[in-house]
Amino acid sequence: MAASLVRFVRGGLGRSYNLARTSCLLQQQTRLQSSETSPTIRPTDAVTHSQLAAFGEFVAEMMPKYIQQVQVTCYNELEVMIHPDGVIPVLTFLRDHTNAQFRSMIDLTAVDIPARQNRFEIVYNLLSLRYNSRVRVKTYTDELSPVDSAVPVHIAANWYEREVWDMYGVFFANHPDLRRILTDYGFEGHPFRKDFPLSGYVEVRYDDEVKRVVAEPVELSQEFRKFDLNTPWEVFPAYREPKEVAPKLEAGDAAPEKK
Amino acid sequence: MARLLKKTTGLVGLAVSHNPHERLGNIYSKILASLQTMPQDAAYRKYTEQLVSERFNHVKTEPDVDKLEKKINCGQIEEVIFQAECELSLSRKMSEWKPWEPLVEEPPPNQWKWPI
Repeated sequence: MAASLVRFVRGGLGRSYNLARTSCLLQQQTRLQSSETSPTIRPTDAVTHSQLAAFGEFVAEMMPKYIQQVQVTCYNELEVMIHPDGVIPVLTFLRDHTNAQFRSMIDLTAVDIPARQNRFEIVYNLLSLRYNSRVRVKTYTDELSPVDSAVPVHIAANWYEREVWDMYGVFFANHPDLRRILTDYGFEGHPFRKDFPLSGYVEVRYDDEVKRVVAEPVELSQEFRKFDLNTPWEVFPAYREPKEVAPKLEAGDAAPEKK
Repeated sequence: MARLLKKTTGLVGLAVSHNPHERLGNIYSKILASLQTMPQDAAYRKYTEQLVSERFNHVKTEPDVDKLEKKINCGQIEEVIFQAECELSLSRKMSEWKPWEPLVEEPPPNQWKWPI
């Protein structure tokens, strides 16, 4: 790595251009991209994309009772959106069907979106070693309605579900051992919820008078509570919505000229 | 001959099968019988019948295990047996769940819209 850098400096721009051509060091190539005419665009993999889309359609056709939507993201990840009743059937189908064989649960987590009617999204990431492919299954719930535990299908879901229970307070029905897993003894509240304050509810300090550690409710002076929550950056530029919708044409109107 | 010398599959918990044809034929006919109970137009029944009967035909026509593995092209014969066992248990559960019925409930509006 250091050697290549040195070569880059010593050789000057003209020579290092040739070097980057011959060597396959990614570092040099990305450095020189600016002088090239072709922009750095992620190459699209149409074959994988169409394969995943076909498999998604296949799964949706197999279980129309539970699958609400199937999509392939721009990074070629297959996402299957299901109704919360269908957690066990869909996961079992993906595990046991000969054309799927998603036998490993890679991850299980949740997303909190308080603006929605069902604020929690539960996300299952699965891997099929046989076909070398991954799938993401998503479902939804709110604070009160329990979701079926995935432990009977994937043993690995046990601790993940405990974590989701601890961090978000999503209740999993039929879980063998639903306890807190990450937070401290006697902790109250679910820290990953969007309405959990950054400072928490209690603070812990050593009290010299009683000679022990005491936990007290947090007291912050009011000036620390003034948060500026509006980010100056545009967070989702790729998902920018069209500013104004094109006006609908009535029958008989002439279409406006296209620029 | 190669079959007689095969000591291990190389996979933990998966023993060498000494009568794979018999075992596979047994499971496949059970799967097909279990699929018979489902409605004719169910997609699960249609695709699984197609898949299983194709493999069943290979099992019937090909006596040599190595060639059979190549024809099925889904790993060693023991793995194929394991897949068939999974499919059998799945097909039995499927007739309980009836996933070919129409959608239980539409998602709430904007549930899958991202960003919100």
